[in-house]
Amino acid sequence: MSEVSSPDHSALVGREFPGGEYVVESWRAWLVADTLLDDPYDEVPHPVLAWMAGVAGMGLTWDELFAWFGASASDGPVFGEHETALHAPLEIGARYDVTGRIVSVERKTGRRAGTFDVVGYELDLHRHGEHVARCYNSIVFPRREAA
Amino acid sequence: MTTSVQVGTELPVHEVFVDPGRMKVMTALLADPTPIHFDTRALVALGMDERPVNQGPLNMGYLQTMLARWAGGRDRLLTFRVRFQGNVLAGDTVRTHARVIELLDTDRGRVARCDLRLDVVGGGTALTGTADVLVPLDAPKEEIA
Repeated sequence: MSEVSSPDHSALVGREFPGGEYVVESWRAWLVADTLLDDPYDEVPHPVLAWMAGVAGMGLTWDELFAWFGASASDGPVFGEHETALHAPLEIGARYDVTGRIVSVERKTGRRAGTFDVVGYELDLHRHGEHVARCYNSIVFPRREAA
Repeated sequence: MTTSVQVGTELPVHEVFVDPGRMKVMTALLADPTPIHFDTRALVALGMDERPVNQGPLNMGYLQTMLARWAGGRDRLLTFRVRFQGNVLAGDTVRTHARVIELLDTDRGRVARCDLRLDVVGGGTALTGTADVLVPLDAPKEEIA
């Protein structure tokens, strides 16, 4: 796989998301656990809600985020890598302040995958000033037009 | 749960059938417009298998569920890192694999660092990674061989 620069979008590294807040509603925690075939009655929300809270509270829709990189949902963007660090467990009913930012943009070309951009972003959850979680995620944007 | 955790301990396998109905619920929960998760016509237009592609968070969640059950609670998961290696499609069955590779003493307690993998039964690997989970203090601290 080779790497080439992506000057058009690398200027977005460091750009902050508008941010916002997210409440882990009990019904949402129930449904998330159910989609995972896990116990919806567990008193602790499923850990995957850390990332879900981040993206729901980042202050952008997916379409808006994709548009920052000249892409759309119909291009078929997919996950690349993910990391969650939980400094404290999530709580049902709790309200979290969400901040986030773009941390990397990289254009790559692979023999099978063709040309694609890998965009990394991170999201922080705070509650009453306490840092509860940080999630890093990368999105892979296929660039069929650049192949 | 983990009564005798040591380096090399294998975590119990967790197997999940990937139901497209649950993928649609997750699409709504995420407000995710990406059609590959629900629109078979869009998949064909992209030249992909017409079975919808499972969401990344669901694949992550299966591994997190396995870790939390083994460690004794969802509050025991501290860190979780994965790389997405391949797609999981509607109708697939996935199987988790995990093994303790290190035991560490931290300010939050004794931590088991685990290697992770999510495989499609009869197919390839979908996710690989590592996670840190809290374990009982009687777990012996050892370095990986």
